Amino acid sequence: MTAFRAPALGILAWLALLGVPLLTGSEYLLDTGIAIATFAVLSTGLNLIYGYTGLLSFAQVAFFGLGGYCAALLVTRLDFSFWLALPAGAVVATLAGLLIGYSSLRLSRHAFAIVSLSFALLCGIVSRDWVSLTRGSMGIPGLSLPGFDDPAQMYRLMVTAAAILLAAFYVLLSSRLGRALRAIKLNEPLAQSQGIDPLRYKLLAIGVSAAASGVMGALFVFHLSIVDPSVFDFYYTETMLIMVILGGAGSFWGVIGASVVFSIVPDLLRFSSDLRLMLYGVVLVAAMLLFPAGFGGLLQQRRLARWSTQR
Amino acid sequence: MDGIYLLQLLLNGLVIGVIYALIAMGLSLIFGLLGIVNFAHGEFYMLGAMLSFFAVTDLHFSYWTTILSVTLVASAAGLLFYHLFLSSLRQGDFERSILLTLGISMVLQNGGIFLWTVTPRIVPTPYSYAAVTFGELQIPVLRLFTLCIATAAFLALYVLLNRTLIGKAMRGLSHSRHAAAMVGIDHRRVARLAVMIGIALSGLAGATLAPVYSVQPTMGSAFVFKAFAIVIIGGLGNILGAALAAILLGIVESLIGGFLPLTLADAAGFVGMILVLLFKPEGLFGRGVRV
Repeated sequence: MTAFRAPALGILAWLALLGVPLLTGSEYLLDTGIAIATFAVLSTGLNLIYGYTGLLSFAQVAFFGLGGYCAALLVTRLDFSFWLALPAGAVVATLAGLLIGYSSLRLSRHAFAIVSLSFALLCGIVSRDWVSLTRGSMGIPGLSLPGFDDPAQMYRLMVTAAAILLAAFYVLLSSRLGRALRAIKLNEPLAQSQGIDPLRYKLLAIGVSAAASGVMGALFVFHLSIVDPSVFDFYYTETMLIMVILGGAGSFWGVIGASVVFSIVPDLLRFSSDLRLMLYGVVLVAAMLLFPAGFGGLLQQRRLARWSTQR
Repeated sequence: MDGIYLLQLLLNGLVIGVIYALIAMGLSLIFGLLGIVNFAHGEFYMLGAMLSFFAVTDLHFSYWTTILSVTLVASAAGLLFYHLFLSSLRQGDFERSILLTLGISMVLQNGGIFLWTVTPRIVPTPYSYAAVTFGELQIPVLRLFTLCIATAAFLALYVLLNRTLIGKAMRGLSHSRHAAAMVGIDHRRVARLAVMIGIALSGLAGATLAPVYSVQPTMGSAFVFKAFAIVIIGGLGNILGAALAAILLGIVESLIGGFLPLTLADAAGFVGMILVLLFKPEGLFGRGVRV
């Protein structure tokens, strides 16, 4: 019975979220919902790579933006249908992830962290400076999805996409694959001795995460109807990191909860974006100094404490 | 091909490369001795530049006084940085150290934007428009000073690392923390000194380069990714390698920028890093620590 609990709750939550536009016509609320959906997928992708597999990565935003730019270019320059451009964007993002993963993971996870950061920064630079392809800072406007011009419809589409991707993540992480990833994080040589090829599983984690980010990226830029270099902003990375760390690296529901909270917070703390980012920095520093395992880790500790006292 | 143009490009590249070297050496030093990738490194460069701006415009310090005082303040900042944040990190805490220093970088950079806005500021000096001419070659005096200061710092670090006892302790510590402890090296004291030197170098680079380019709170982030690429190309933990790779990158960037679109120059560092990782992971100059 408990095996069906999580999926059942998930489906109920998804249906409930779909119904939100019936209760309110506020585009602001729908935008917040879209932000939550996007960040939930991005953070869970980062959680997959960092929380479960133990690889710190800054490339999530790069996959996000690559998916967006790719889809935008295919639709505007080559007259692709969006439904073909979307998977194409995901494929490009996945290939990029596999490339940087393969080249740096053979050295160490430290190198991967640095290369992922450099890759994300490079994407921002190239999108800004390769004007003949991307129109630079002016971006590529006019991205519209026929049939989804209504904000409520776009909201439903993105919530559904997020639900499907999160469900896929959940299935992946609950399966043998998830256990293998966790084994790699806990003790890589021991995992290897059990026949788990670390490189293959790490690349798998990166690839899946990149694909999901690419999909959300393509949807997001068509929601905004424009894509420009700001899609590669470091701000997304900082926010994702806060979500994963405070939610608890390796805790599936903790990170999703943190995504919801921290998608709403920016609008509550609307006084200044610089102060807000400064606050994020302070939170990050405090978290690293005081409780590195995040909120999910605290829950885990309580659960363990309860279990040990019950005997 | 205009020989003078080429020589001018080489010279510019050398100047920028030497500055890269100051920043990269500090980063490599901190990584080699503490195993920490200091994401806030660019921010100390920025703070050095901002501080020198205020020293010149509000305190009316002269060019040389500014550079000296900013370097001293930077080393004090390094001491504080070590004691408040880095001393609590243990050997295997790689991810935690990245996120900790990333948080500090966010606080410093956004705090800077909040306090000083992103308006670029120019640091006035009496040398700003003077230039020295060698035949057809024109070298702005400030860039010449930059070259001299950075070379002096580089030589000082080299002498420290290879000719002094504490330098020997640093090299020993970067090889093996346990072995160093066995011969009586207190890793905390050596690490503290390394952090002070690394941050001081970064602040010095900022103060030296402040009059050459404009100063604003986001200037640190542009250097950070190049500094990381340089450290990897030179070999993680190989300080001299980082310096050489930095100068190489400066020259290559300048040459590329002189003949091709400028954007390709920025990509040179990243491409170089990927190539090194694929074909020579221990760094171009070898002896890099394979972490």
